[in-house]
Amino acid sequence: MLQNSLSFHQSSVSLEIIGLPDYSNNENKGQISIISDWKLNIIGKPLIEGKIDHLGQIMDAFYIYSSLIITNEKPLYESKLIDIKADNLYIHNIVLKSSKPEVRPLIIKIGNSLLSDIINCFDQLNESSKVRIKKSRFFNSMPKKVIFPLNNKVKFFNFFLPPFISICSLVLFSSTLIYFFNPIENKEKKELINKK
Amino acid sequence: MPNKITIWKLRNNNPLRKSYIKNNIQLEEFEALIKITAEMSKYLYPYIKELLQSKEDPKNNSVIWDDFQKRFRELINERFNVNSMRVKKLLNQTENDEIIIKSLLTLSLCISNGGYKKLKNFLFNC
Repeated sequence: MLQNSLSFHQSSVSLEIIGLPDYSNNENKGQISIISDWKLNIIGKPLIEGKIDHLGQIMDAFYIYSSLIITNEKPLYESKLIDIKADNLYIHNIVLKSSKPEVRPLIIKIGNSLLSDIINCFDQLNESSKVRIKKSRFFNSMPKKVIFPLNNKVKFFNFFLPPFISICSLVLFSSTLIYFFNPIENKEKKELINKK
Repeated sequence: MPNKITIWKLRNNNPLRKSYIKNNIQLEEFEALIKITAEMSKYLYPYIKELLQSKEDPKNNSVIWDDFQKRFRELINERFNVNSMRVKKLLNQTENDEIIIKSLLTLSLCISNGGYKKLKNFLFNC
């Protein structure tokens, strides 16, 4: 049976997905749901290939690492399959470990430009309608606690700010009236009224 | 965004700008600005990539990087409040490399169709 092949390109990086459609689900001929192989080709670097389990782990590693670069000073990602570490602000060190004990780990150095190309290839794969793949947990991930703070903040301020300002202005206005109030004069007036 | 003037007004919500006006920015406006930024980074991706590449090789004579930094500093001097400490940090050549690289990398990672969601996520986590 002929296998389908789909490629995703971004400048110097291309990702090839090879597999079959799930005919039991009445899928089209061009669809890929059962991935048998994948190849990540980075110009000037060794070819990276593997099975579907590896693809998921590698995609997760790149997504987590890319968010760590933005938030951390020294980003580091370690797993059984892949380690990614920053050499400096511009260069990243990728160590791909084989499950076979006799195979040495593959070390690849990439810059920020290649890193963004790789992530963009993975994004294209995640967004593709032709490949059915379990989406990475970290693709466009937005934790629930992060989604709502701005919304809540706006609602909170809209609710509490007007009464707070009105109370403050009332206190300020009434405090100015203290200057016009003379307690001694008031006492004298009361005494005069009593004498009468 | 009904027109360009609305975008121009929204820019003034940036506290680092000289013409800073504190308006309550709405969630829809905030999301619209993020979408515009993601679309612009998609359009400018080749230039952003070239800028990132220029810093990767120390032997490389980075004319493009120097030109970008010069324009960046000119723009900050012209539009931003240079008395602010945060703006001073942006103008300091030894300190601003990291800020610029991280900003460019963030933009380059958000060029997919759903890139604005990623940009929003990065902004909340920063």
